[in-house]
Amino acid sequence: MTRPPLVPGDTAPLREALRGLRFLLRRGGATVADTLAIEALPTPAASLASRVLREAEGIARSVESVAAKAARTVLGGQDSPSLSLDELVARPTAEAEFGQAIYLALSVVLRRLGAADFFVSEMAARSAFAVWRDDRLAGALSFHAADLTLRLLEARVIRGAVADKAGRIQAQDVDAVAVFAVLLWLQATRSDSENEAALDAAADIALARAPEVTDTVRSGDMARIAALYQRYVDHV
Amino acid sequence: MSKVRLHDDALPATNEPLRVAVRRLRWFKAAFRRHAEAMAAELGCRFEIDEAKLAGAFTRWLDAIDVQRPADKSRRREFFEFAAALMMRELTADMPLSAIGVPDRAQPGSPAAFWPEGYCCTIFCLSVHAAATAQEFHAETKIDPAIDDLRHWWSFRENTMQDASFSAGFLQLLLGSPPNWMMPDVFRARIDGTT
Repeated sequence: MTRPPLVPGDTAPLREALRGLRFLLRRGGATVADTLAIEALPTPAASLASRVLREAEGIARSVESVAAKAARTVLGGQDSPSLSLDELVARPTAEAEFGQAIYLALSVVLRRLGAADFFVSEMAARSAFAVWRDDRLAGALSFHAADLTLRLLEARVIRGAVADKAGRIQAQDVDAVAVFAVLLWLQATRSDSENEAALDAAADIALARAPEVTDTVRSGDMARIAALYQRYVDHV
Repeated sequence: MSKVRLHDDALPATNEPLRVAVRRLRWFKAAFRRHAEAMAAELGCRFEIDEAKLAGAFTRWLDAIDVQRPADKSRRREFFEFAAALMMRELTADMPLSAIGVPDRAQPGSPAAFWPEGYCCTIFCLSVHAAATAQEFHAETKIDPAIDDLRHWWSFRENTMQDASFSAGFLQLLLGSPPNWMMPDVFRARIDGTT
């Protein structure tokens, strides 16, 4: 059955800009609140600083609210596509669909990994995918997925990820584990109804094997990464 | 043969053979969750599932199967049973279940009342094994009466707390196979196995 294109119009650059703005506001507000030791200031300065901070937070909240509404307006459908990596590559709108798929999937996985805040660059993912697709030679899907994994990490598709306090994963490992999970999911056989459960399962496998995944991905050895994908792809 | 009730009816439907489905985490998690819900309703308590621990148990189980699977195809059925024992070992090694509340529908002094989490995991492993065995070998799984004997459960819980491999032996016992208590989680060391 032919699936309709997931991305009817190219609104990705605008989405990216809005998401970036929202991230900046979230992170900026949190940084100011974390950095400013108001209680250590003398009384007049403390009350002035508190007032300024309240006003700044108010501005940030209202701007973020506007950005969130605008982002929702242009985002369109939010369902995670259930196309496999092989299917995606063959489609005329592959770059845009991949960007959208990886944005949604990485966001789900990062939250599941316990990342408290992060920015996922759909545009960086699209660019990395486009170059990867042009460079692809014949070979196993897992090997191509390993190549794409390294390109996505090099393109810094995930930025500013902060691990949560539960300490399920080290902050510096979040990006490698998350990208591995999403690429594992994209290679897995799954139906539309199993799509979300499969993504959760891929994230859980990557989290359960985080030290092995991080060590393998950081090695940059595509054969090792491909072997790890082969090891788990039928178990998602 | 024990009359204990297995919960193979709580296993999710799948188009794949169960031996394949159970090695997919998405099915395994759904099966475990539905099973825990069914057991909770039966026992009158609630079970919380730690999904990270469950995924950890699942991946360790895959490793154990790969390492121990015999090359000799004639031992496939025997290993089928052993795979259930290995699943039991991994679930008890880092228990993904916590019982919330008192299991007030369980008979006082019963294994379920004594250790609800261990009982739930045991019935899960037996249920999956029974369903897969019926599908693959058209055979009924018979559960040893030891499952109803609280003394076995005292020993099971106490020993498993010290060494999770004990639980692999316990499951083999419940399936009617005498375990090698020196190495209950080593397939090559089974009493009736060939080495």
